[in-house]
Amino acid sequence: MLKSVPFRQSTPRRGEVPPYTIVYFPTRGRCEAMRMLLADQGQSWKEEVVTKESWLQGPLKASCLYGQLPKFQDGDLTLYQSNAILRHLGRTFGLYGKDEREAALVDMVNDGVEDIRRHCSQLIYRSYEEGKAKYFQELPGHLKPFETLLIQNQEGQAFLVGDQISFADYNLLDLLLNHQVLAPGCLDSHPLLLAYVARLSARPKLKAYLASPEHVNRPVHGAQKI
Amino acid sequence: MRMLLADQGQSWKEEVVTKESWLQGPLKASCLYGQLPKFQDGDLTLYQSNAILRHLGRTFGLYGKDEREAALVDMVNDGVEDIRRHCSQLIYRSYEEGKAKYFQELPGHLKPFETLLIQNQEGQAFLVGDQISFADYNLLDLLLNHQVLAPGCLDSHPLLLAYVARLSARPKLKAYLASPEHVNRPVHGAQKI
Repeated sequence: MLKSVPFRQSTPRRGEVPPYTIVYFPTRGRCEAMRMLLADQGQSWKEEVVTKESWLQGPLKASCLYGQLPKFQDGDLTLYQSNAILRHLGRTFGLYGKDEREAALVDMVNDGVEDIRRHCSQLIYRSYEEGKAKYFQELPGHLKPFETLLIQNQEGQAFLVGDQISFADYNLLDLLLNHQVLAPGCLDSHPLLLAYVARLSARPKLKAYLASPEHVNRPVHGAQKI
Repeated sequence: MRMLLADQGQSWKEEVVTKESWLQGPLKASCLYGQLPKFQDGDLTLYQSNAILRHLGRTFGLYGKDEREAALVDMVNDGVEDIRRHCSQLIYRSYEEGKAKYFQELPGHLKPFETLLIQNQEGQAFLVGDQISFADYNLLDLLLNHQVLAPGCLDSHPLLLAYVARLSARPKLKAYLASPEHVNRPVHGAQKI
């Protein structure tokens, strides 16, 4: 059965009922970036938690466009695909660069984050024991583009693109935080990224969310082995 | 992106990179993610094919009529990208072993796009709304590639066949699809096929 949890305590738009609903498994997975975005933007949202059993046995999967979660609701708009949801929220809250040129760069950066996210998921869900040595060996090479982007943008003191936060920043931040959980210390030779993580995590609303039980107690992913 | 540009009456320059120069030259190290394509729009350099499609979508008004449609276009394009990636993995890694399973699963992967088309003026319009989007060019390319790699694989998908035929008949696009530069360009670079 779908289980709804109470609304978060922050400022809803359009009256009492938050327009946003995240329908997902009880993990951070592909939803934590959008959760951090919403929290940092002072939004509240509803979580509909889907257990593995109800997913495998219930009607929800067949009703999803691609047979996958997350499913996201913004009022009467239903969206699938986590990056489409991030882009939608990016448009809504002005987190998509200051102009069309920056928007293209934000897209380019987010697609790079997505590539790493996918590699990491494949590692976790398919071949962790066999693949992890190679993965962490290759990680510095995969992180380098983001260090390059940061250095070129006010020497790492700003954001990935321009001087305002974008949905790509929340996505990269989530990815880096996950890596620190899965392999503590794996960012130690990346001081620019460590500083970036610390600086973004200190944003007041985001900091409060990252300290909240709902975030802290939510596992990074749903694979059994880790 | 080539079909998009051609259909929008644009011209562009091709800088062709051979496998040898890619492996031996300085270009790869200069690319943000060490990959191609690289795209230049004046002084703006972009990587990531879907970022390029989105940029052109914004430029030419191929991103839905409002923010709601833009979100749907993104959702659809991401679905096309998922299939494109599965197809690439098949071609570049495990074609002989994987192709039976791939074509068995293909109808299930195509179903979402049939659903979207049916729900939008019963397949007579586009994937989202009543104007073409970058997601349409992306899906069209994917479907055309499948017809080359496995002729007839769309025969049990009349809605998609009609969609492919209708879009391919757009005058500028039709001219491009008939051009030697398109016809003579192989679908992909894997040796086995």
